[in-house]
Amino acid sequence: MSLEFAYYPGCAAKQVQKEADWAARAVAQELGITLHSMPQASCCGAVSLRESKPAFALAVAARILSEAEAQGHPLVTICNTCLQTLSYANHRFKTEPDLLDKINHVIVQAGVRPYKASIQVYHLLWVITDQVDPAVLQKKIQRPLKGLKVAPFYGCHNLRPEEIFDAKAGEKADHLDRLIQQMGGTPVAYDGHDKCCGFHVMLSDATEMRSMVAKNCLSAKGAGAEVMITPCTLCDMAMGAYQKAAEDVVGQEIDLPELNFAQLLGITMNISTETLGIRRLHVDPHSALAERGVI
Amino acid sequence: MPVYTFRIQRNWTTEQGKLESHYRDYSLEVSATTTVLLALEEIRSSQDGTLTFRQSCRSAICGSCAMKISGRTRLACKTHVGDVARDGVVELAPMANQPVIKDLVVDIGPFYRKVHKIKPYLEDGPEQAHTLDKSAYDQVNHVTQCIMCGCCYSDCTMLEVSKEFVGPAALAKAFRVVADPREGQKTMRLRDLSEPSMMWSCSRCAMCVESCPKDVKPMEAIVKLRTRGMAKGFVDGPGAKHALAFHQDIQKWGDLNEFTLLQRTVGILGAVAELGTAWHLLKKGKIPSPFPHKAEGVEELRRIYQLLEEHPIDVETKAKEVVPE
Repeated sequence: MSLEFAYYPGCAAKQVQKEADWAARAVAQELGITLHSMPQASCCGAVSLRESKPAFALAVAARILSEAEAQGHPLVTICNTCLQTLSYANHRFKTEPDLLDKINHVIVQAGVRPYKASIQVYHLLWVITDQVDPAVLQKKIQRPLKGLKVAPFYGCHNLRPEEIFDAKAGEKADHLDRLIQQMGGTPVAYDGHDKCCGFHVMLSDATEMRSMVAKNCLSAKGAGAEVMITPCTLCDMAMGAYQKAAEDVVGQEIDLPELNFAQLLGITMNISTETLGIRRLHVDPHSALAERGVI
Repeated sequence: MPVYTFRIQRNWTTEQGKLESHYRDYSLEVSATTTVLLALEEIRSSQDGTLTFRQSCRSAICGSCAMKISGRTRLACKTHVGDVARDGVVELAPMANQPVIKDLVVDIGPFYRKVHKIKPYLEDGPEQAHTLDKSAYDQVNHVTQCIMCGCCYSDCTMLEVSKEFVGPAALAKAFRVVADPREGQKTMRLRDLSEPSMMWSCSRCAMCVESCPKDVKPMEAIVKLRTRGMAKGFVDGPGAKHALAFHQDIQKWGDLNEFTLLQRTVGILGAVAELGTAWHLLKKGKIPSPFPHKAEGVEELRRIYQLLEEHPIDVETKAKEVVPE
């Protein structure tokens, strides 16, 4: 299977969460995954554009999907909300041909290549767990996690609504758990694994968002987690960068190192912590990893 | 037939009025296609007559038997044991986000009071249509499937941290009324729904879409309410301001301008209040550039936007037509 993709990192990975992009590129290179850049791609509009300008949101998605289609590759992303937004639009284009015609009619007038609804939308995590040869992955893992207890935090937009995704989603999703096992860690079962990080209400319902972060982290810690990983740049920001703010709201120390899945995978592949942007994390994972003898 | 363990949360109130809780295991030999409700009835009749749960229609119509089944809220009458057993164990607990009365029974009063808060009935008024065509059903039909079972309310991630949030079922019902051409107070309703703890407090986690046993998709109704609210000019809250920032940035930059997004969503004072967090981000080199990367061909996006403003197209999902058998 050819492992070439049109790479759509999303706005957060280009700005606040750059380390996720660095780590994704580094692990992809190790695994023989080619990520082609998409110079024309814009912001996907996230959850918001679909609310404020529903037709424009679909046109923006069609333009992004069309660029990947013109390259002849499936699209791969590292942001759950980009994944859900583009998968939602793609699902509608594939199941509602009249809608696709209407949107193409508009984008063609603006000089954009019409979208034929022929490509699939993947998360890089799915590519690694479902498309990379497990033997190749195993060979690259030079520093296994030695039973490290890792809490998988899937993030809502990697899971729901189930029917729009080009991979196993909803309650059946297990890719993050499988990756943790492949890295030599122990996946932690905890209540918050498929719940909400609150990112999209960070500003409108600030206290509630921070309470969500605290609840999920404390549920993971209560189940024995030593670190947490997510496949999403926005969950990273909420569960990592806002963990301190969450501690202030609930009046309780959390202190749970949170990493992007590609960062932890990169560590097991012995990629330098500089390349993986580990110093940009808010809770330093070094002691948790050193205690297990991973680093 | 396989033997399953039913791990049931037993709840009771002590004489001092305190709620006590523990799990008790019951073994039962049933086929994988037995419903959880039938299994519960069998346990009650053959093993423990004190086990308390709600039930009525047995047909996924009344919504009485909603409970937490293996971590998710489901109707016991509609759920097969084999589909939810994990290593032979089916874990049962009362619905969340509601006060527990006994065992698997919760007080559904707070849930219904929130549904009443949105006035779940049509009102007379200036926006009332008196003639209807078939398209009137396009937006209303799937929401009218709601049976008020409370599954979405129990699994709602916002309600876990907010007692005030009105909840997915009430908002789906609000959309059902706003989308009905016969409703006379659509604009006033959208104004009220734009208040705090109403439609803008949904975190968009889509848990309600997954939990709903009747495919109502409450979150999709919330998205449509927000679209209608903004179109009526109710754009003062941070939720609406945040949503509106996106189409401006996409036309200007292609990418989102994360540097100015904060100020545009919560205003200067709100941004100052966020400074504690901002300082924390700054230390990690995480303050974004005020000049984000500009995508190639941004003018195409501006043109698309203009075309759609000049000639709007309807892209809303529509309920499937219901044809009598």
